[in-house]
Amino acid sequence: MDSILKDLEEGQRLGSGPRLAAALTPVDTPEYPDRLKSFYNFTNAAQVSSSLRYYLSQIRGVKLPKQELHAWVDIFSAYWKVVGELVKFEESPSSASWVNVYDSWKDVANLLIRAYSNSGFDNWTIPCLYVVGKYLRLFASKADAETSSQGSAAFPDRFQDDITTDFGKNAKLEEAARVLNRMFTLCLNDRAPREDSRKWGIYYMTNLLFKTYFKINAVGLSKNLLRALNAQSIDLPDMEDFPRSHIVTFKYFVGVICFLDENYAEAEEHLAYAWTYCHKSAIKNKELILTYLVPCHLVNTHTLPSKTLLHDFPRLEKLYRPLCDCIRKGDLHGFDAAMSAGEEEFVKRRIYLPLERGRDIALRNLFRKVFIAGGLEEAKDEQPPVRRTRIPVAEFAAALRIGTHADERSRVDIDEVECLLSNLIYKGLMKGYIARERGMIVLSKGGAAFPGTGV
Amino acid sequence: MSNNQSQDSKAAEASQQTQQQKPTILEEDDEFEDFPVDDWPENETEQAAGATANGKDLHLWEESWDDDDAAEDFSKQLKEELKKVDSSR
Repeated sequence: MDSILKDLEEGQRLGSGPRLAAALTPVDTPEYPDRLKSFYNFTNAAQVSSSLRYYLSQIRGVKLPKQELHAWVDIFSAYWKVVGELVKFEESPSSASWVNVYDSWKDVANLLIRAYSNSGFDNWTIPCLYVVGKYLRLFASKADAETSSQGSAAFPDRFQDDITTDFGKNAKLEEAARVLNRMFTLCLNDRAPREDSRKWGIYYMTNLLFKTYFKINAVGLSKNLLRALNAQSIDLPDMEDFPRSHIVTFKYFVGVICFLDENYAEAEEHLAYAWTYCHKSAIKNKELILTYLVPCHLVNTHTLPSKTLLHDFPRLEKLYRPLCDCIRKGDLHGFDAAMSAGEEEFVKRRIYLPLERGRDIALRNLFRKVFIAGGLEEAKDEQPPVRRTRIPVAEFAAALRIGTHADERSRVDIDEVECLLSNLIYKGLMKGYIARERGMIVLSKGGAAFPGTGV
Repeated sequence: MSNNQSQDSKAAEASQQTQQQKPTILEEDDEFEDFPVDDWPENETEQAAGATANGKDLHLWEESWDDDDAAEDFSKQLKEELKKVDSSR
């Protein structure tokens, strides 16, 4: 028996959302390599509606209300059309087109939205909304890519990023965002009691929109979603009660949105949550979470990732290890070199700005080494020995020469060293004061000179 | 040492660059992936995996800044440089 029809039947019979959504998943599977073709061949354009109506009304033990039956027939008829467009990629590639696939999939999406608002679809069917939303975005991307590749083929002598070819390059994806937004509203504004509510779909839909907005460079629009969610927050079920895949994805995106706003404290909270509850085998996603969590943690706590943390992620190891080593050693010269070597990648990943702040930490570590090198003062009156806390500015100047790999001829400007020192003191990375007239730094006693570093 | 100044101008340049770069989009392979399963129990979370891998402590972040091996070298190096600083004044 046809696999799609079987899923449709079983989904309805068992009242299983995932099974019904499987019917609406427009791909072949390893188990059914001809899944799409077989569904397409089960009927023809003239008879698709009547065949589906007959099929749906035959399902044992299921009596769909008339309006609901009509709605499903319409949805699966539209779906059948999409499958026809998809089958073309194999059977007659010259007439196949992602724009056509997208346009007909959009019909499926609109019919489904209408069915939820008018035909009383139950909330158990909501995985259908997920799968239709998911493929709407994917097909829109493919359609846009197809359009832009044809555009550049038609005008080969135009520059790639010429404004004329750039215009409308995300046209379908932008349109898809508007459809997804209606799905978002459909979930958010459902007034049904909590257990039967489409509100359970809200984070899934929000995530689809986040992905879409990031892709079309409209991250700002994500904030409208967050505002809408906030306004309804008392009516939403607790976050812990949603499936983890919805929440981890949601937290990741909210974290990145805060990150891009340079709100690193809030970003870290969300990203740490995403990290904690992420599936342990989802390597790629864990890597993405850490890409932003590491700089957040550096800015917020002035702490570096451990070796074991980066060890499992070669790409992150490459991205962050040189920088972290320089910060750790207080190697300012190496830090600047690592920043410029990685600049393109850092800017692309939008992590340049927070990483830049790592220079202060490198400087702090360099000066901390001066403090350690100062050793202990002679013990008085049987007190335990304490670190020397009065240190000549000249020693910091010398350290700076080491850290910046200054050559023999370059001179050290003591004013500038004092400036750097007072900057670190101001930022709370060092505790103490400058006794200018004596050319000394007087640091806090009792393990508080460099807060959080043990000395 | 004009390092600080050049650093500042570099930072300004960089922030300008990020402003300009805002239109670049994350590449396809940088997209957060769909999880293969919808939900998973506590013991399949990263938190649980990290806890079993490291005894009970999640060792995510470097806790110590001390580098005892290099401390002595630095001390020596510092004395060398200090002479140069003193003589250049």
